[in-house]
Amino acid sequence: MSEKRDLTIRVAGEGGEGVVSTGDFMTAACARAGLEVYTFKTFPAEVKGGYCMFQMRTSDEPVYNQGDNFDVFVAFNGEAFELNKHLLKPGTVLVWDGPGGDFEPEIPEGVISYAVPMTKTSKDLGSYRSKNMVALGAVSTLFNVHEATLIEVLTDKFKKKGDEVLDFALKSFEAGKALGLEHEKTDPYAIVEGKEGRDNIVIAGNEACGLGAILGGLEFFSAYPITPATEVAKYVSAHIPKTGGTLIQAEDEIASLAQVLGASYAGKRSMTSTSGPGLALMSELIGMATMSETPALIIDVQRGGPSTGLPTKHEQSDLFLAVHGGHGDSPRIVMSVEDVKDCIHMTAQALNVAEKYQSPVVLCSDGSLAFSTQTVERPKPSDFEIVNRKRWDGEGEYKRYEFTDDNISMMCDPGVEGGEHVATGLEHTETGAPNFTPEWHIKNADKRFNKLKPLADDLGPQEVDGDRDEEVDVGIITWGSTIGVVREAIQRLRAEGVKVKGFYPKLMYPMPVKEYEEFASKCKKVLVPEVNYQGQLAFFIRAETSLDPISYTICGGLPFNPAQIVDKVKEINS
Amino acid sequence: MSRAEIFNNIEMKPKEYKSEVSPVWCPGCGDYGVLNSTYRALSELGIHPKDFVSVSGIGCSSRLPYFVKGYKMHTLHGRAGAVATGTQLANPSLSVMVAGGDGDGFSIGGGHMPHMARKNVDMVYVLMDNGIYGLTKGQSSPTTRKEMPAYITPYGGVEEPLDPVMYMLTYGATYVAQAFAGNPKMCAALIKGAIEHKGFAYVNIFSQCPTFNKIDTAKYYRGLVEDLSEDHDPTDMDQAIAVARRPNGKAPVGLIYKEDRYTLCDEMKRLVDLVGGSPDYDTQKIIDAHIP
Repeated sequence: MSEKRDLTIRVAGEGGEGVVSTGDFMTAACARAGLEVYTFKTFPAEVKGGYCMFQMRTSDEPVYNQGDNFDVFVAFNGEAFELNKHLLKPGTVLVWDGPGGDFEPEIPEGVISYAVPMTKTSKDLGSYRSKNMVALGAVSTLFNVHEATLIEVLTDKFKKKGDEVLDFALKSFEAGKALGLEHEKTDPYAIVEGKEGRDNIVIAGNEACGLGAILGGLEFFSAYPITPATEVAKYVSAHIPKTGGTLIQAEDEIASLAQVLGASYAGKRSMTSTSGPGLALMSELIGMATMSETPALIIDVQRGGPSTGLPTKHEQSDLFLAVHGGHGDSPRIVMSVEDVKDCIHMTAQALNVAEKYQSPVVLCSDGSLAFSTQTVERPKPSDFEIVNRKRWDGEGEYKRYEFTDDNISMMCDPGVEGGEHVATGLEHTETGAPNFTPEWHIKNADKRFNKLKPLADDLGPQEVDGDRDEEVDVGIITWGSTIGVVREAIQRLRAEGVKVKGFYPKLMYPMPVKEYEEFASKCKKVLVPEVNYQGQLAFFIRAETSLDPISYTICGGLPFNPAQIVDKVKEINS
Repeated sequence: MSRAEIFNNIEMKPKEYKSEVSPVWCPGCGDYGVLNSTYRALSELGIHPKDFVSVSGIGCSSRLPYFVKGYKMHTLHGRAGAVATGTQLANPSLSVMVAGGDGDGFSIGGGHMPHMARKNVDMVYVLMDNGIYGLTKGQSSPTTRKEMPAYITPYGGVEEPLDPVMYMLTYGATYVAQAFAGNPKMCAALIKGAIEHKGFAYVNIFSQCPTFNKIDTAKYYRGLVEDLSEDHDPTDMDQAIAVARRPNGKAPVGLIYKEDRYTLCDEMKRLVDLVGGSPDYDTQKIIDAHIP
């Protein structure tokens, strides 16, 4: 076990017991100590109570996903133990609330157990509310969550609430530490030392989309609440007034996108965020954005569907809707993020793409990234280039939908003399006058599709994990947050001598067909893992390329883990 | 440029606001009267077409923007008000007007109506109420009277109509007026007042459909409407509600209600001022709040 650089700690209990804050404190301490972190949480759909889980994976090397399983499990109550006991494999550690908690666990074979009377100790100290601080103290000493940094983090957090609150938190933390020290440590797990000179921030996926939007020069946001996307709007609402921009809450998702299109027409960089049900409602307006050639960004934080489905669970099942949702032949741009870093940079990029191509852009995130906090290299505002729409220069006669060499016409903001025009959802001539003749419909359909063709080259080649020219036995194509899982699986497979490489498209549509074909030409077999029932990316690959990949789907509301991918590759390669 | 500066900016005759596209409405359609009233209001206010944005959804009346010089968006059925809200917030110096019908506004778009009104979005909504879906050839709308058989209600209606004015009063619109398209002078005056009003201005105009609504004729509307009495106080909500309920069976025409209230735009500006916002803000500060 000596080469193990990463450690995964899961904390679970009842919502309101401080499970999440325990995780947040550990995460902040590790990141501050120069480690990389990747957290993952599940929370109940109910407002109060219910099962709640926080998992932190940390390492001095990059961490791409939540890992296969935890090394250490901290159970705050009996329900948490029951729900996780099947994951307590030999060699894992269980830290549990006892004696004095609400349960007495039967320790599975080979599991190392440390009983820590969290509830009892916190009650003895005077408040049940410090249970999580007791747990944190014990965990920090048992697994080397860097204590000095952790105390700094706690101090920063609690001093705002007054000395009394801070003293009590630290006293509870110390009590927990003492309880931890009572145990003779028989497990091998300890968080490694961090690296000097890391300049990271820690941020969750939804917040990161909001940050990317602000850094990408966002001027207008219209929001409607929906799990698991609302935090994007929450973040933007806190910060956009600082840059002079506007966020309003609309009456429904239809109005959100309608307002976005209205603001974009008036010249503002505009967006909304939603999840599957909202994206479904927006379908008609996406078509209008396509027809009227109005720039708009929609972030879709995917959740389990159909219908109300699994609002708080992870799924990558909106690709069909994002690409083809709506009536008529309605091209749009669809991109997807891999991780929290992408949430920042690709949101900003997507605003540029929407402006440049005068097109709706759907940027897909997902439920596992929404609340996942990760370390990301600290961005600088100057890293973000702002690309604006092509605007009329006032020369000659203005035609909104004029045919041009690159199929992109000039826009003109209201208020400019001579640029008066109609932007319309009807089929039209170059001036926007309604026209339903075959000639104009065909010409404009060509224009709307052809204008997106240069996008793939414009964005640059999609990532290949491995040597582009190397012949391999298995090539893995995947998208969204599953990419991070595949990265690690590929590292493990290579370490075992399996010839494998990956292709990670982030431009989902229009599909960079040539790149898919080139990648696959070097692979004996192609595997497409994704978290949806139908194999939606695999479907598009079959439809648009000459490939016939092996689709590997799961849809249990949770992401893949690397071991699943490793096993599958070995299975198809045998 | 501020909103006030767009007035008295140009001298244009009403007919000079006509665009190059000619109306496609049936002869005798009330919408012609509304269109001419719009030209007249714009002319009297001296608004340059570059500062005027008309937005519409789908329906006969929703074609109106095509016939007026200026910037315009022809959007989706029911969504004009929501689109226009975005335009207005994006550039508060523009004069934004929604033009649409009763089906567009109160059926498919009915979910947006309360919110434009209560939020007091600083724009005009002119609703041409003909009590029918004209473009789709005569189905009953939310303002169709029950006694009239329609395209897919051949045995007569099965439901009560709604009264747009009552709704807009209770939704919180800060300018509520009603007129008959056959009185273009009054229409023009009320549209002009609506454009000048700071806040959400709703103008309900009875606009006969001679083709598909055989009972709400021009003659019927002429008999239906009654000028507000000279002592009507439009700043008094109780009086507004009382007349809107048509105590004598007559529909009141004129300025029914007017209120000065902060607009959504005012509030957006207040938030920016509250945090001292500006496009030059150093966003590094936002990033650095995430340093662990």
